[in-house]
Amino acid sequence: MSNRTFSVLGLFDSAQQLMDAIPPVKARVPGRLEAYTPYPIHGIDGALGLRKSPVGGMVFVMGLLGAISTLAFELWTEGIDYPMMTGGKPIFSWQAFVPVMFEVMVLFACFTSGLGMLFLLNRLPFFRHPMLRSKSMPLITRDKFALAVEADGLELDVDACTAALRAAGAHSIEVLEQPAPPGPVSPNFLMRVAAGVGISCLLAGYLTYWGVKVFPIAMPMTHMLDQPRLDPQSADSFFKDGFGMRMPVTGTVARGQLPYTIKNQDDAAVLGNPLPRSASVLKQGRQAFMTYCFVCHGVLGDGTPSLTAAYGAKPANLMSEKFRNYPDGMIYHVIMMGKNAMPSYAAELSEDERWAVVNYVRVLQRAMNAKDSDIPKETSK
Amino acid sequence: MSSDAVSLPNQMLPEILRTPPVLTGQVSSGSLDDQVHSPIERKPPKAWFVAFAITSVFALIGVVCIGYTVAVGIGVWGNNVPVAWGFGIINFVFWIGIGHAGTLISAILLLFRARWGNAISRFAEAMTIFAVMCAGIFPVIHTGRPWLAFWLFPYPNQRGIWPNFRSPLIWDVFAVSTYFSVSLLFWYLGLVPDFASLRDRTKSKIRKFIYSALCVGWRGAASHWRHYERAYLIIAGIATGLVLSVHSVVSFDFAVALVPGWHMTIFPPYFVTGAIFAGFAMVVMAMIVVRTTMGFDNLITMYHLEVMNRIILTCSCLMGYAYLMEGWTAWYSMNQYVHHTFWAYIAGTYWWAGWLTITCNIIIPQLLWVRRFRRSYPMMILVAISVTIGMWFERFVIIVSSLHQDYMPSAWYVYKPTIIDIGILVGSFGIFFTLVLLFARVLPVIATTEMKSSLPGAQPRHAGGAHE
Amino acid sequence: MNGDKTKKILAGAMAAGLAGVVTTGFVAGWQRFWVNWIFWFLFILTIGLGALFIVALEHVVGAKWSVPLRRVPERLSGLVLLMGLAAIVALLALPVIYPWTNPASLSDPVIAGKAGWLNVRFFAIRVLICVGLWFLSYRILVSGSIQQDESKDPKFNVRARRFAPVFMVIFGITITVVAFDWISSLEPAWYSDVFGVYVFAGTFLAGLAATTLAVLYLQARGRLRGVTPDHIYNLGGFLFAFSVFWAYIGFAQYLLMWYANMPEEVFWYKERLQGMWGPLVLALAIFHFFVPFFMLIPRDAKTGHTRLFWVAMLMLVAHGLDLYWMIFPVLGKGPVFSWPELSFGLFFIGAGLLWMRHAMSRSADMPVGDPFLREGLEFRL
Repeated sequence: MSNRTFSVLGLFDSAQQLMDAIPPVKARVPGRLEAYTPYPIHGIDGALGLRKSPVGGMVFVMGLLGAISTLAFELWTEGIDYPMMTGGKPIFSWQAFVPVMFEVMVLFACFTSGLGMLFLLNRLPFFRHPMLRSKSMPLITRDKFALAVEADGLELDVDACTAALRAAGAHSIEVLEQPAPPGPVSPNFLMRVAAGVGISCLLAGYLTYWGVKVFPIAMPMTHMLDQPRLDPQSADSFFKDGFGMRMPVTGTVARGQLPYTIKNQDDAAVLGNPLPRSASVLKQGRQAFMTYCFVCHGVLGDGTPSLTAAYGAKPANLMSEKFRNYPDGMIYHVIMMGKNAMPSYAAELSEDERWAVVNYVRVLQRAMNAKDSDIPKETSK
Repeated sequence: MSSDAVSLPNQMLPEILRTPPVLTGQVSSGSLDDQVHSPIERKPPKAWFVAFAITSVFALIGVVCIGYTVAVGIGVWGNNVPVAWGFGIINFVFWIGIGHAGTLISAILLLFRARWGNAISRFAEAMTIFAVMCAGIFPVIHTGRPWLAFWLFPYPNQRGIWPNFRSPLIWDVFAVSTYFSVSLLFWYLGLVPDFASLRDRTKSKIRKFIYSALCVGWRGAASHWRHYERAYLIIAGIATGLVLSVHSVVSFDFAVALVPGWHMTIFPPYFVTGAIFAGFAMVVMAMIVVRTTMGFDNLITMYHLEVMNRIILTCSCLMGYAYLMEGWTAWYSMNQYVHHTFWAYIAGTYWWAGWLTITCNIIIPQLLWVRRFRRSYPMMILVAISVTIGMWFERFVIIVSSLHQDYMPSAWYVYKPTIIDIGILVGSFGIFFTLVLLFARVLPVIATTEMKSSLPGAQPRHAGGAHE
Repeated sequence: MNGDKTKKILAGAMAAGLAGVVTTGFVAGWQRFWVNWIFWFLFILTIGLGALFIVALEHVVGAKWSVPLRRVPERLSGLVLLMGLAAIVALLALPVIYPWTNPASLSDPVIAGKAGWLNVRFFAIRVLICVGLWFLSYRILVSGSIQQDESKDPKFNVRARRFAPVFMVIFGITITVVAFDWISSLEPAWYSDVFGVYVFAGTFLAGLAATTLAVLYLQARGRLRGVTPDHIYNLGGFLFAFSVFWAYIGFAQYLLMWYANMPEEVFWYKERLQGMWGPLVLALAIFHFFVPFFMLIPRDAKTGHTRLFWVAMLMLVAHGLDLYWMIFPVLGKGPVFSWPELSFGLFFIGAGLLWMRHAMSRSADMPVGDPFLREGLEFRL
């Protein structure tokens, strides 16, 4: 025969008949015995000489692996990679890691059991198996039981097998041929598989990218970001001129910016200096002076800066008699409003800083025009 | 001594000791296939379409409300400080609970070799999967930004951060997803030989292709059955532990917190019992419908209904014990905040919910002590509906009543659900029953292979008879 | 005869134990005496109660496979009668080791608040009610079964089937009362509402382990003919399942208290984890859960007599360790185990074993009058 016989199978009407038939058939014919039943039959494994299933061992190992690897992962993520302290618990808090460890252990164990059984142990799917094309298969999945003598590499004597099965009580016999050997893998097939894998990868990749990057910033997810509020430097249709940013309301006074209503310098003489000439105030004044004032008025305030030659204007000599006689308020007025070529420094200096500068200038004036009587008695020796 | 053994035939036993038959009528492997597979092979009756239309409308309401929530924001729900968990989490715990009966029936009964479970295990497991699907919606949509839900999983990311494995909310993520995957796997494995049956019965080429793919070429070889049985039994055993763990992890969401009324150590077994309780009520209702509308009353007999009712009664008594323990320990703890919380359960703002819970969960199911009621449809349905309502309100009481008045009186607040909250709740029922109706028409509702293996005469004599 | 020799050894051991028991109070202190009395009485009581629960469970469920085995837990439940007397003696322990009996404890508002429950009179009433209810249940469930041996009247089954659910309610309440009154109130400030369930888990397991041990012991001596490996497999399965249940409840209670870290709860655990108690509780987890779990996973282990015998023995010892760990820390020292504990052990265990021997010889080994006995003997997996 060009197609060798795959198996000879005999059909029985009940599980009892099948079980009774196994010993005589096993004794009479060589070849592997397989039974096909609509549901599992208790005791048939022993009768057919099948070994115990290793599913249990596989599950045990994978379950243990799942548990240990999960615990290690949890300890690593929460303890080493990004140590996270929650609720004052110790970093390596095994108690809190038990639930997830248990669940992943269950996951590993169950999937090993189910998928390992189907794909590894039973080596399914195998759609070319001759049983799937046989006449007996629909009978078996319904309510009949079959005992098959399978060739398993040997040459089967069909007549002897048939006789043995009939003698054991089978009411019908079917002979199954070997399936045609699978053809060599065609380039067409390979291309299709490669295309399928490629497309799946692209799809999976795109879906991941979309789900993680694009979707979260699409509508309506962005509704949370588009709040009905005024954002800086944005247009707004609420106002007639379309500007989102508005000027303060007329009459608004910024903190530390009380309105300065004095127009000419002489009237400013009435202003009193609120700050004492203490060390901290003078320090502040000196810092402000050395930032803004010395450029024009010089380090000593005498109007000899490096800028005169380039600039052309002549800054005031604050150490002169005229300025020594100025009341504090008039110096303050010049800082506030500017004078001649000097601009207003009201924006650069706060109110405190302006009065501190005034104090500093006064002290400079005193220092530059010191009298003998200013020297303390102790050092005169 | 064993020779002295007396044995009385069923009829001579007093009424109370007689067990109704697990199967009635002549049932054979072939007739089982014909009876169970025929609904899938023909067009559904008008009643099915009407029911499907109704459940779809409810499901649509739910979907619209969920979409509205995601588009506009969580503010459309009634949640607010301090009642930060409202309908969202109540529904989550409720639906996860409903799912537990399925696993108990298919896994635990299998372990105890209680073959009466075979007729209802397929349907019950399907209910588990659909219930978990409904439940899984809520943790996702109750977050402010559900589209970022994937942040809950530990994947390497540019933020350099991992989920907080010490938080019960992450335990939930793992527990529920494991529960869903394992239930799906278990359900699918049970379906494999049934798909083989369907493959061999069908005349349509498309269906044959689909069933063939789904059963991965199953051919019923004894060498395959040995691995299959072992794998199935092992998953059943592990699933038992999984069932205990999933609802316990859900209970940890509450019990690890310091909210008075939440930090009670009895929560894990109490929640698991409550889950089984609610789940069985749902299964009883479903079984009554299946029995009557699909003509399976010879396979799903009064025996099944009576046993399930006895389990419901047992759970009701266990819940009674749990309520008693909670109340007594609340007093015994001498903690004024816990005292206040428990007083509020029955005499505070939501006193009506507390009493509804006690009535529906403890008092009404006591009707099942009466044997006549255990076998009467109206009584069973009354108790099942009462239990479903009671268990929902129990979660309401635990979450809303405890949160609305905790340590700081200045934060006390009366929670009111919005129409969207109610719409999503109604919608979840719609989604669940729509899936159930689809399942009943597309897949075999009874696990025919399991049942075939336990019919009388199905197993050879010396390996043991087939009686319950 | 061998029986007589065993009886003499047990009686001798019991007498030696009694001598030690009597001297403990005077030599090692009355605290030590009463802690031992409470511990040993609870150990034997929980075995008996667990056995009675098994009997009632069989009636509630209407299980037929377990009928041939039922006489063993019925006889074990007689230990409840013995321990009922021991409970009344144990009332004398109240002023010695229970702090709430001391009027000075009422200065603590937490204890004072509970005084309505924790006072000597109400405590004694509760004990008497529990013992009375147990006596009543024993009469209905066990005495009735023994009478049925002669009468062969199925009316007993009817009465038992009706009463068993009532007993379940009685059992639930009384085991909780036992847990809270005898064990938890040793430290009256502590509370845990799953404690009743925890003690129940240990109790049920103790009853199962003792039943399994007794069944295997009797089988090895040629009694209980007709009990098959399938029956033993079921016993092993229950041991496996409920060992998992005990571990689950124990861990859940610990995890919740550890996580919330409330001082008013956690002190109980802190006492029981410090010093040598830590390794002891680790041993408890290993012997009560891990070892039985891994040893009972393989299918053959649950039917194999030797392995199952030793696992059941280990679980019974571990149950004792569980009670020991809960009770003995009130002595304020590390784990102690010397001649007082040994004497009490010899006394109580000797009494229990003598009782069992006597009881099992007074009636048939199986409930021969039960109408379901034949079905039970025909049970196959």
